[in-house]
Amino acid sequence: MSVKPPRVWVSNAKPARGEIVRVRAQIEHAMESGLRVDGDGKPRPRNIVRRFEARLGANLIFVWEPGISIAQNPYIEFTFAAREGGELVMQWADEKDVTLEARKTLTLA
Amino acid sequence: MKRRHFVAGGVALGTALVVPAARAQSKAAIPPQLAPNPAEFKKAMADFVGRAKPLETGLKLEVPVLADNPSAVPVHVSVTLPLSDQLYCKELIVLAEQNPSPLACRFQFTPFTGSAEAAARLRLSQTQAVHALARMSDGRVLVARQNVTVAASGCGM
Repeated sequence: MSVKPPRVWVSNAKPARGEIVRVRAQIEHAMESGLRVDGDGKPRPRNIVRRFEARLGANLIFVWEPGISIAQNPYIEFTFAAREGGELVMQWADEKDVTLEARKTLTLA
Repeated sequence: MKRRHFVAGGVALGTALVVPAARAQSKAAIPPQLAPNPAEFKKAMADFVGRAKPLETGLKLEVPVLADNPSAVPVHVSVTLPLSDQLYCKELIVLAEQNPSPLACRFQFTPFTGSAEAAARLRLSQTQAVHALARMSDGRVLVARQNVTVAASGCGM
């Protein structure tokens, strides 16, 4: 997986209680499907991002399990209701178990 | 050769050769590793739906009708039913019917999420239908589909 940090956008870092917050996040990853071949005709080994999860504090709020039909540099957008403040923690893991993490702090207005 | 002769020649060639060639190619151009997998598509659909009766309401699927970049086609899904702590969306899948691996991705939500909306970008190997299926906490299964025309030759995955 890339060494560049994830790019994350949060619609509102100071939402009212219960407000719907939108998150957009993207990482750099080739999402190698295993179907492509290199110049010598040998298949490139498969390695895709297999799991993304987002937690707010201790609560799991969103899970994404991409397949090989997901585009490279996977982009994900989701929403949730801000029931409490806390840290929004996002984690990516690929099939070689390389992980990336991003954090955003939410405080209720 | 003078330019106008060249251009005229090109037009003549275009009408005579390129159009039928392109038509013939569109059938045979898909390499074997990118062939659709209808068995897996049916299985993924059946596994998700189970014994529920799929309902064609309450789930919104937004995909462009014409995808100009088949290697990153934006797809947006959202459950439009009113959600509560008792009624929430448990999981949602997106399927690309003609892709070699039809199950594009799975989203999971929890009672804590408070909404059921997600967007991602797909690779599409050819012009096809994209399906979305959502399972609600009360066991209802919602379905939506949209045909997508893929520009150029499709994505090599």
